[in-house]
Amino acid sequence: MSVGAAVSNPLASAWRLIPGAWRQPLTVVGGVLAVSWLLIALLAPLISPYDPLAQGAALYQAPSAAHLMGTDELGRDVFSRVLWGARISIPLAMLLVALAFTIGGTLGGLAGYLGGWVDELVMRAADFVFAVPTILLAMAVVAALGPGLFHAVLAVVLVSWPGHARVVRGLVRTTMESEYVAVGRLLGSPTHRALTVDVLPNIAGPVIVLAALEIGNAILLLSALSFLGLGARPPAAEWGSMVSTGAEHFEAWWMGDFPGLAIVSVVLAFNLLGDSLRDAFDPKAIIKARGA
Amino acid sequence: MAFVLTHLVPGDPAVANLGDRASADPVAVRIYREHFGLDKPLPVQYFVYLGNLLHGDLGESEQSQRPVNTDLAEYIPATAELAITSIVLACLLGITLGVIAALNRNRLSDQIIRVVSLGGMSTPQFWLALVALYVFFYKLSWVPGSGRLDAIVLPPPHLTGLFTIDSLAAGQFDVFANSIQHLILPACVLAAFNMGLFTRFTRSAVLEVLENDYVRTARAKGLPELTVVFRHILRAASPPILTVVGLAFGNVMTGTVLVENIFSWPGIGQYSYRSATALDLPAIVGVMLFVAIVYILVNMVVDILYGVIDPRVQLA
Repeated sequence: MSVGAAVSNPLASAWRLIPGAWRQPLTVVGGVLAVSWLLIALLAPLISPYDPLAQGAALYQAPSAAHLMGTDELGRDVFSRVLWGARISIPLAMLLVALAFTIGGTLGGLAGYLGGWVDELVMRAADFVFAVPTILLAMAVVAALGPGLFHAVLAVVLVSWPGHARVVRGLVRTTMESEYVAVGRLLGSPTHRALTVDVLPNIAGPVIVLAALEIGNAILLLSALSFLGLGARPPAAEWGSMVSTGAEHFEAWWMGDFPGLAIVSVVLAFNLLGDSLRDAFDPKAIIKARGA
Repeated sequence: MAFVLTHLVPGDPAVANLGDRASADPVAVRIYREHFGLDKPLPVQYFVYLGNLLHGDLGESEQSQRPVNTDLAEYIPATAELAITSIVLACLLGITLGVIAALNRNRLSDQIIRVVSLGGMSTPQFWLALVALYVFFYKLSWVPGSGRLDAIVLPPPHLTGLFTIDSLAAGQFDVFANSIQHLILPACVLAAFNMGLFTRFTRSAVLEVLENDYVRTARAKGLPELTVVFRHILRAASPPILTVVGLAFGNVMTGTVLVENIFSWPGIGQYSYRSATALDLPAIVGVMLFVAIVYILVNMVVDILYGVIDPRVQLA
């Protein structure tokens, strides 16, 4: 309120410069968690106490000071493996969302801009993917290509592009109704120019938020495929497959519980961030465009 | 329905192409392919399949060597019992929490509910299932482990295939109790994700309704709070909630694949996992068709319910 307070406390005034949506306590928690995990993914080789694949220690040790999260069935340090797991799940989920968004966004943008048979074709293809349960299609694709992390990523891209296509299509159609796009067309600007200059900047905000929300889901689906033995292969330190191994060693709860908690905290962080960001942008537009 | 059939089946040859595993000896492969008509050109296969489909024949599962219809009939009731129970649980919890959160917007209870609902949506179901098994079965022994019934309990006489309903109909209350004990844990695990989803959507739908003048009028008239909530708010907020519940029938399938595998629940989740990993095409397409039909039927029911709730909606 008072100018004096802001001047006397530069930290507080800097805090107020941050948009309201970012200052909610839960958003801050989500942000801090997400940044920590990104740092862990970056710095895992430096901060993890052991080599994630080294089998030196005694087997099935319960958590202790030497091994914060215990050791697994091959004497590997679970804590180091959980840290290294961030280097698999987070970058792959980001790559996956970027791919799905590029494909879905381009197709959805073209469908929304051109309309007509292009629109029909793209949306029917999207409907087809929507009608099939995500995991069933992903399982079939991975089984056909052979198990492996890369194939799992491709499978999840294949099932997740229609979501992006729908959102972008809806947003493009709304933007197209505005006068400046009509003016641009009257002036004779070609399709690609209208899309990149007139439409794209106006839909970028909500679309980026949605992409952030999707990262959490991508991590969940990828780890589920790895859990089923269709994604990461041993000995890779991947959270889903670590939970799967942990399931075979019921007594050694630390083997599965800590990787599981890692997934929960990463996904929750992205969901908290995405949820508050969605409130910050026009929520109705996104919900309508998403069709849900 | 015809729309989905025509749009679903073209996926079959595509997947078939991917899944050509000529690993065994050539003769066996040839016999195998002739048996399933895979030696014919793809368009022929497609029309043969379509023709059979018109008679309600989904083909023969390459893995179980039985008609897919028989397989589905055996596994669907188990999944139906699990999925419906979990969606009912998720609705009860999710809608209640969503209303409470909206009425206490930005207060502490809203924040707590936000963490709980987003937590439900952020927890991998396969992990939650394992933790639940570890705690409630292994440590506490509150519930029996896997399967639909204890090994020594005989299934009730077949009526609907839902053990809870069949056992009640037959008056076998011990079987009913046993099936409920087996059902409760996987159903709760399966409900966690949708509970979160329903809570978020209920909250935003109720918040939108709260801004209306008639809510203020109702309160000003001095109507009891519960009447306002149920008669004025929930009724107006229900269409978007119903939409999400309808859509949830689609994502509950993802959960059943994981949960059924962990709880050894003999349903189509396990069946589709086995079929997908063995590239058993008739079985995969059969499951896909079944899920798509359920999905469409549920969403048709949702559309009809719109009309019941909101007389302004006309059914064309």
